[in-house]
Amino acid sequence: MGMNRRDFIKSCSLVAMMGLLGACRKIPLDKIAGEPSLKQFQDEVRLAMSQTKKMLDLVKVSKPGPLRIPGASSVNRFGMAIDLDLCDGCGECILACNLENNVPLVTAEEAQKGHFMHWMELRGGSPLMCAHCGNAPCEKVCPTGAASHTPDGLSTMMYKRCTGSRFCGANCPIKARKFNFNDAQKMGLARKFNNEVPLREKGVMEKCSLCLHRLQNDRLQFKTLSAEEWRGRGVTTACSDACKRRAIIFGNWLDEKSPLVREKLPT
Amino acid sequence: MFRYLMAVGLVLFLPGLYALGLSLYDGPSAWMVDSQTFWGTPISLFVFWIGLAHAGTLLSAVFVALDIKLDRRTALIAELSTLSSLVFAAIYPLMHLGVIENFYMVAPFADARGNFANVRSPLVWDFCCIAVYALLSLLFFVTHLKARKTPSLEKYRKPMAWLLFPLVLWVHTIVSLDFATTFVPEWRGAFFPVYFIAGAIFSGLALVNLILCTEGYRVRLLERLQLICSWFMCAIWIWDFMLKGSFCTSAFVFAGLFPQLRMVSVIRENKWGRVALSLSVLLGLFLERLYLVSPEFGSSATATFGWVDLGLLMFSVGGFMLVFFGARRLLDRYAESAGSYFGEVDGSDMAKAEEAEEAEREGFRGIEKTKKGFYIQPWSSEEYRQLRFPLLLGVVVTALFTLWIFEQQSFENVELSFANVIPLWYPLFAFMAALTLFVRAYFVEKSFVLHRAEKIIGGALLLCLGACAGAFFAGGASEKPVEQFVRDMDAVSGVHAEDLNRVAMVWNARCATCHGTDGRFNEKFVREYYPVPQKLDLARLDSLGVDSLVRVVWNGRNNMNSYAGRLTLDEARGLVLYMRHLAQKVPEEETEGKK
Repeated sequence: MGMNRRDFIKSCSLVAMMGLLGACRKIPLDKIAGEPSLKQFQDEVRLAMSQTKKMLDLVKVSKPGPLRIPGASSVNRFGMAIDLDLCDGCGECILACNLENNVPLVTAEEAQKGHFMHWMELRGGSPLMCAHCGNAPCEKVCPTGAASHTPDGLSTMMYKRCTGSRFCGANCPIKARKFNFNDAQKMGLARKFNNEVPLREKGVMEKCSLCLHRLQNDRLQFKTLSAEEWRGRGVTTACSDACKRRAIIFGNWLDEKSPLVREKLPT
Repeated sequence: MFRYLMAVGLVLFLPGLYALGLSLYDGPSAWMVDSQTFWGTPISLFVFWIGLAHAGTLLSAVFVALDIKLDRRTALIAELSTLSSLVFAAIYPLMHLGVIENFYMVAPFADARGNFANVRSPLVWDFCCIAVYALLSLLFFVTHLKARKTPSLEKYRKPMAWLLFPLVLWVHTIVSLDFATTFVPEWRGAFFPVYFIAGAIFSGLALVNLILCTEGYRVRLLERLQLICSWFMCAIWIWDFMLKGSFCTSAFVFAGLFPQLRMVSVIRENKWGRVALSLSVLLGLFLERLYLVSPEFGSSATATFGWVDLGLLMFSVGGFMLVFFGARRLLDRYAESAGSYFGEVDGSDMAKAEEAEEAEREGFRGIEKTKKGFYIQPWSSEEYRQLRFPLLLGVVVTALFTLWIFEQQSFENVELSFANVIPLWYPLFAFMAALTLFVRAYFVEKSFVLHRAEKIIGGALLLCLGACAGAFFAGGASEKPVEQFVRDMDAVSGVHAEDLNRVAMVWNARCATCHGTDGRFNEKFVREYYPVPQKLDLARLDSLGVDSLVRVVWNGRNNMNSYAGRLTLDEARGLVLYMRHLAQKVPEEETEGKK
């Protein structure tokens, strides 16, 4: 061997240093790209809809009652119903959701595989998003408590608390959770259409929030102006606003006056 | 020999290090093959290495506890392989996280913000169990190593072994619960703990047998155990197939069928034959874990075992070889001769060595041993006397911890049952017991002395641990920078640049009499009053918050009148935001004025 011990160790540590340098992931090696246009978002929704997903088995579920977790509200449980007879699969709700919640685009190769960040997607022709399960499997396995339940029935995400273990995603029965594999802001895939919803960082999980911010705004306003019990009346989600055929109805399962109970309850 | 193996390890390790660096930089998308699987190679490798990490404790602790004689050299090697494997078992779950710097949030440890880990999650159980297991394994190994020079330490080995024996089973049960508690059909099943423990012991035995081949000798007992384990695994695989229809053929061939060749004497008696058998078991079990974590690996077109995945595998294999054989060479040098450190190699001398050791131990303990074979009298045994107080303390601490968890605010909105806390019991209990045992041994019984270097290392480690705990307690920054926050606030409240003129008009009409158009006081007028109004200051505005300032405008304070009815809420809010606008200007003007 032409190399002495000292040189050998030197070269080895050099290679090791190079490997470690690669590990400094906060270094912005590539330039921050600009914001994507609205048309790109529309195109992506069209692409997502053109890709067929396997049919889902439909099962009958009963009307949800009050949540059975400690501290749950006895008057509010927000939820959503989608009338599959009315829905024609136009996909307007997906675009509305993306714009409302600043859902980022994905790269071309991800799109090829059918991996989108969309909180809503069409599966078997019908819209599907997080079901906000009452006894949610994802919340049980989240190690940090980033996935948790609000007293009024929303399964929520605390992005700052998320450590990205992806256990919730692995345990979601309907695979409605999306993981931020890419730094969408840096890659120019994200755009802030709505200031009330933060852009998510790389490495955290996200999913449908049932437009939590709209509920919160309404609650704040209601509580400042009136002493009555807040029932979330009049609040809608972006997808239900966008649905021309009124197939998507958002409301409060425990409120008799809610459109959800009035219109959508099977008789 | 070890030098060449280290060189091979280095050759594997360096490209692996690059793959690791790349996957840290790119995040999970570097190796991720399918966004529906979510986990991929690192978790397969984690399960694989944590399985290998059971060799040492099984062979050493369980055998010590049950009084099965295994020569010192094999036991030490097995323990060392445990520690080296644990290093890599710990790296993978850490590096697979999306936000690695938040890993400490998994520890059930309250931080300054009052956040607490979700102890219902198997990952939290995992974190605690593996941490305690690594710590106690290290302690066990060091005790074993030091016991040669300080024979008084020998008496702590058996109590330690009794603490570690259940811990081995506990740790692997918890690892299996990561899978068994989920909703994924392939992972469900009450047999998972047994399946994982059997798999772990099987792979651990294969690793030890492989390492023994490099040492140049063999232990027939371990080879036989390996064969028996393979039958057990085959039975589980077939059962799993009949139950769910999932079957990993390559694992069955490599880890199920090939090991049966040990029954052929030509292969069994040949060193390379034994190496091949052990390697085949390890390969088969790795493939099995890969299949377990992401069943789509083989079938789906998008799921391919890329070169990053290969690099991660190489990283761990090469790293293990480096760490293990490096430590092995160090041990050789540390001891004057291998023989004095590693006992007798030849099996025929075992019996004599055993007898001598037995006599020696009985002599120094000064009690007659009445038992023979496996029979142990639990309540009168030496180990129990040793462990009595530590066990009690462990139980007390565990009970207190459980009570404390139920008091935690985080669980006010979450159903928390006893079943969720039970997985944390044993690791905590074992940790406390072992800690008490050694603190007592050092400070009260004075059974061993620490050298200066050891004291320094220990102190540095404790300091490091304390610093980490402090950093975790303080937590990372979770707030946006104030400027960003204010920008968002302005955007939300709808006061944009074009609205500024309107708000400025309101300010000039309503507020400027006292507060001045530029936010500095109208000195002539204001000095009549006491208390003097606060200076306009960005930090003060931030600390008060928009809502409370709106309330001041609305309700008045001290000499300031109430503006309810004279301003709308929106206007009041706009004025508060305008104050911020003015506050940003004030310092500039003041500095200009000084010039």
